[in-house]
Amino acid sequence: MNKKLLALMALLLTLMLVLAACNSDDESAKPADEPDKTEEGTGEKDTEEGAEEEAEQPASDDLFPVVLDNEGEAIDGGTLQVALVNDSPFQGIFSYTLYEDAYDAEIMSFSSNSLFATDGDFLLTDKGIASLTVDGDNNKATIKIREGVKWSDGEPLKVEDLIQPYLIIGHPDYAGVRYDSDFQNIVGAVEYHDGKADTISGLKKVDETTLEMTFNKVSPAIYSGGDGLWGYAEPSHIVKDIPVAELLENDAVRKNPVTLGAFKFKKIVPGESVEFERNEHYWKGESKLDGVVVKTVPSSSAAKAIETGEYDMALSFPTSAYENVKDLENITLLGRQELYYSYLGFKLGKYDYDASVANTNEAESKMGDKVLRQAMGYALDVEQVNEVFYFDLRARANSLIPPVFKSFHDSSIEGYNYNAEKAIQLLDEAGYKDTDGDGLRENPKGEKLTIKLAAMSGDETQEQVISYYLQNWNEVGLDVQLATGRLIEFNTFYDKVQADDPEIDIFMGAWGTGTNPSPAGLYSKTAVYNFSRYTSEELEGLLTAIDSKEALDSKFRSDKFREWQEYMQDVSAVIPLQFRYELRPVNDRVKNYDFGYDTDFDVIDIELLADTPVK
Amino acid sequence: MWKTIVKRILVMIPQLFVLSLLIFIMAKFMPGDPFTGLITPETDPARVEELRIKAGFYDPWYVQYVNWIGNAFQGDFGRSYTFNVPVANLIGDRAMHTLWLSLLSVFLLYLIAIPLGVLAGRYHDSFLDKSIVFYSFIVYAIPTFILGLINLFFFGYELGWFPTSGTVDIKYESGTFGYLWSKFYHILLPAITYALLATTAIIQYLRTEIIDSKSMDYVRTARSKGIPINKVYSRHIFRNSLLPIAAFLGFTITGLLAGSIFIETIFGYPGMGKLFIEAINGRDYSVITALVMLFGFLTLLGSLLSDIIMSIVDPRIRID
Repeated sequence: MNKKLLALMALLLTLMLVLAACNSDDESAKPADEPDKTEEGTGEKDTEEGAEEEAEQPASDDLFPVVLDNEGEAIDGGTLQVALVNDSPFQGIFSYTLYEDAYDAEIMSFSSNSLFATDGDFLLTDKGIASLTVDGDNNKATIKIREGVKWSDGEPLKVEDLIQPYLIIGHPDYAGVRYDSDFQNIVGAVEYHDGKADTISGLKKVDETTLEMTFNKVSPAIYSGGDGLWGYAEPSHIVKDIPVAELLENDAVRKNPVTLGAFKFKKIVPGESVEFERNEHYWKGESKLDGVVVKTVPSSSAAKAIETGEYDMALSFPTSAYENVKDLENITLLGRQELYYSYLGFKLGKYDYDASVANTNEAESKMGDKVLRQAMGYALDVEQVNEVFYFDLRARANSLIPPVFKSFHDSSIEGYNYNAEKAIQLLDEAGYKDTDGDGLRENPKGEKLTIKLAAMSGDETQEQVISYYLQNWNEVGLDVQLATGRLIEFNTFYDKVQADDPEIDIFMGAWGTGTNPSPAGLYSKTAVYNFSRYTSEELEGLLTAIDSKEALDSKFRSDKFREWQEYMQDVSAVIPLQFRYELRPVNDRVKNYDFGYDTDFDVIDIELLADTPVK
Repeated sequence: MWKTIVKRILVMIPQLFVLSLLIFIMAKFMPGDPFTGLITPETDPARVEELRIKAGFYDPWYVQYVNWIGNAFQGDFGRSYTFNVPVANLIGDRAMHTLWLSLLSVFLLYLIAIPLGVLAGRYHDSFLDKSIVFYSFIVYAIPTFILGLINLFFFGYELGWFPTSGTVDIKYESGTFGYLWSKFYHILLPAITYALLATTAIIQYLRTEIIDSKSMDYVRTARSKGIPINKVYSRHIFRNSLLPIAAFLGFTITGLLAGSIFIETIFGYPGMGKLFIEAINGRDYSVITALVMLFGFLTLLGSLLSDIIMSIVDPRIRID
């Protein structure tokens, strides 16, 4: 009996160990301050095509290689096995005009219908299918397409294919978000949307390869694909006759979309996997691979899938699984900074939804004192949080423009690096003193100061991080409490923040910035997303300058961007907290791959060195 | 009996009506809506508002409810906001996946649990019995996702015996034998995992019932008439001991469509359980309401089925 008992204990112990081991694998749940796939959902991901302009990478990118350096004799053809890490089935809307889910965009990166190539700042270049000429004085832009470009079904690319997406987005039956104020900037778009015109008058076919667009106004944003310019083509020979309301379910979108990219769709298992084959009509030449298979893999097994060589690379790889892949010998871990920053915002006013303007009232806001805000920024030990909780896959952010935008990011700004003494000194000097002896500071008038923080809920990490921040503030003598008493679920969080809930004094959020760096949509007087509700004449002036006609001159624009970042650092209505890395594990049998933004690399260059991935 | 069945079905109508009202109101009470997640610097808040108005989110709730229930009566449950397809199609696809997985799971479950329960009961207090009871407590204590991950990592990734995600391998053409085999192959490991974990209740019920039955008068009578022990077990004891299991059969049948969130998430299997959670997280109202209505209906149906089955297996029970 004793022996049996012993055996039993041994078994239980083994089991417990296994359970413990599994637990650490399971922490890949999505952190909540980054509902990334929704929040950053419509960000364009033109990472595959691009053009080099400057060779230098931001210094912080040295953490990971960006370019794969596997060498060797490549096999003939072969199929690239790609894992798309996603806990839900992908939606499967394979049209750039209609998709909403970022995962669909990830898949389409192999079959891109993109017209323009971009440089490291995501500005359009003329190395792609089309080139853009802007006539700022007349508010016109001319798009010229290369001759001989064909769709994957062999049909030539026509100017009508460039016009088609506008006709879809502007159509009254179109139910997506892309019919926006930018789109209405195209002359005639509103009339078309309201059914008063059959076409959009601002779009004019000049000849077989030239499209002329007329806008209400032209700003530098057009070089980032803004102002209403649409960077993708739709095969008008197929979709022209399909009613817009039915397009979403049509086979032309769901089952056999045609492409302009390196690969074409061969087969789609809805929500699960996509098989691509070489597009022999691709304008840059034929891919060296025979094909690509993209398959959805749950985040809980993403690391395991890479470790066992089941896949050649993983898209949307969860950074929380970093520990499990960082020492693997069969892969190269590529990494780059994301178009992302997280921030601490201070409520300094209210948004007037009737007049559509933010009204700042610094004097009467609890957080109205600039020095208090800055002290709160210095008090946060974000550096330690990055190291302990995020394996340094996040870095302290110094400004509100991610460093990826090299020409716009100002690396000379110091930001609010952790400095508790400085925070204490600032608070002391500004008159925040502990007058009642409870260890917490009162405001200069001697009244109790309790600051309510709204933070989004997420995994356990998030909870620990937020309580660490609360502790940081407590250490400098500030009483910061969670608004509602707990972390707030994503939807509620944005409902409350957007409604200027009086319960919220400060809030922690994040933005995926997309490829257009213009901050106007997040910080201008009229922007709903200007959640801190801070505006000033100087700020408006800078924002206007950034998107003004003078800023078509890139030097002027990048100077204004720097001025804006310095100004934002100074007023500190929003304090940047973290930039973030994204990872792409790539198996050692893959040759030629570049994860960088600023590159001439094309997926046709990918080759394989063996018949199966390295285990 | 037929009268009762018809009556029960008629009673379901007001029950479902109340359920629909409750779920509709409660779904609307959830903070946010399907468009909350669209917050990005590149989306225009004005356009999002326009979409909200178009979707009728600013109408009074009873107007929205009447619109919805009116359409639902005509079989139109609206469109999924997140997946952009009609709800009926979406649920239809997922339901088929879940149905096959559940059928195999339940089949394997009975295949494993019934013999184990019978053996444990028949040879109770033996080493065999103790091992079975020990096994059943172990699996009862293991959380689903743990065993799921262990199975997936070991049999799926390390040994490569099973596919690791999805419902079918992309290389097979739909309708071929290879395609069907691939579908079966994909549900095998999740089904085994589920079956192993769900055995406890059945084993315990069967075991207890059999142990109880052993000392019953009818068993002694049967034995004294000279019926061989094996036959007594298979004919008399087994049939009587199945009663508590039969009582759940109705729920088991209708529960086939509910799906399991853990199993589906770990094995990357797009089924109903995940759809439900995704719909709630994405505030996909049309999908949430349709699913709750479906689950509600199935539960009512399940209880009716269970009663009918009981009255068939056990003549002592009359449902009227």
